[in-house]
Amino acid sequence: MGIMGLALTWETRIPPVAQRERRVEPFREQVGAQAPAVDASHPEDFELAAACRSGDLRAYERLYSLHGARMKNLARNILGSSADAEDAVQETFLKVQRGIASFRGQSSFVTWSFRILVNTCYDARRSRLRKKEVASEDNQPETVPRPEPRASVAHPSLRLALERALAKLTRHQRDVFLLYEVEGFRHAEISGMLEITEAASKNTLFQAKKNLRQMLEPPRARDAAGAR
Amino acid sequence: MNISCNDRDRIFENGTPDEWAELESHAATCAPCAEELRAWKSLSAAASQLRDYSDSPALWPRIQRSLAEQAERGTHRWNLRRLLPHFSISWQTAAASAFALLLLLSGAWLLGPPRKDPAQSPLLRNQALTDVRRAESAYVQAIDKLAAEAKPQLENPGTALTASYREKLLLLDSAIDDLRAQTGQNPSNAHLRYQLLAMYQEKRRTLEEILEEKR
Repeated sequence: MGIMGLALTWETRIPPVAQRERRVEPFREQVGAQAPAVDASHPEDFELAAACRSGDLRAYERLYSLHGARMKNLARNILGSSADAEDAVQETFLKVQRGIASFRGQSSFVTWSFRILVNTCYDARRSRLRKKEVASEDNQPETVPRPEPRASVAHPSLRLALERALAKLTRHQRDVFLLYEVEGFRHAEISGMLEITEAASKNTLFQAKKNLRQMLEPPRARDAAGAR
Repeated sequence: MNISCNDRDRIFENGTPDEWAELESHAATCAPCAEELRAWKSLSAAASQLRDYSDSPALWPRIQRSLAEQAERGTHRWNLRRLLPHFSISWQTAAASAFALLLLLSGAWLLGPPRKDPAQSPLLRNQALTDVRRAESAYVQAIDKLAAEAKPQLENPGTALTASYREKLLLLDSAIDDLRAQTGQNPSNAHLRYQLLAMYQEKRRTLEEILEEKR
């Protein structure tokens, strides 16, 4: 499908945003209410890491109750399937447990956990791709992922268009967009998760949004812009 | 501060709150900037469509089970890892030196003059094993005597330090039990014997420290 198929008219398709939800960049705190911020200096982050290191399973449960939903949502947006996302979250927790002894606290514990999650998701994507390659080499019919039910959203067509447009971005642009705009992380946190600088995170988000805008822009507006 | 249309992209990428406010003011009188600003914010609003924090009741129990299984598999290794921070630098140096010496002796043995096939002299190996067991048994008895002396203090720890010593001893005993079980299955493994010796020595040193604290 080309860009035309993704076109949305901004006026009609994008829902009006309630004042309390309005995100006026860079005032991040306006959207921070639904997602707990990650702060390395926060005592809970330190205590959580210490408790996980001591092998206390309740600490992992706390990590899950605080960030499990966001982890699963991020994984689903990267992998495109709820089942794969759950597998990735489970694998992430196992990796955190295996690697907690080597965690030295250079970044926050939660940032570190999300870095593991992102890497796990891309490992899963690669492995899925390899399996598909093997299947096509064996002349087996390619398995097409079935669209799965998700929690109802106000604008399913908008979500679908955005998902398709996101799939066309580079990996870094997609990751930064999802972490910043969807999960509500700050650039400082994203830089820790993706091991890039804060400036690179800001620039990548800018490029991602520019590309998304181009992809989702209505053709009429593009033509008019081209005529000018 | 004077904001123009040329500043728009820079502010979108890395603008300060003041610059964003200026851009909003500028957009009130500039139609192209107003359109760009609205579209930019709309993308952020559209991103909310990708949020689905619905509950997955089966996920945590599944993760919990796999975490418990992994912890169970790694118990022995975990015990040793937890124990290591209690070792002093001098103790770690001594252990490293002993290990280096062991490597040196093994190298010399391997590269040295040809000798009889050890398989042809099982008595020698058995004799060495008997000697090690005898020495170990004597060492354990000596440590048990120390433990008996320290027992009243450990049962009623008067200080936080003694309580900490008691916890350390529990960990050491657990590690010793694990290693003894392993040496039982593989009695000729010198590496396991060295590890066991290291644990006994650490236990002896800890008991001595407890008794010194009493004095």
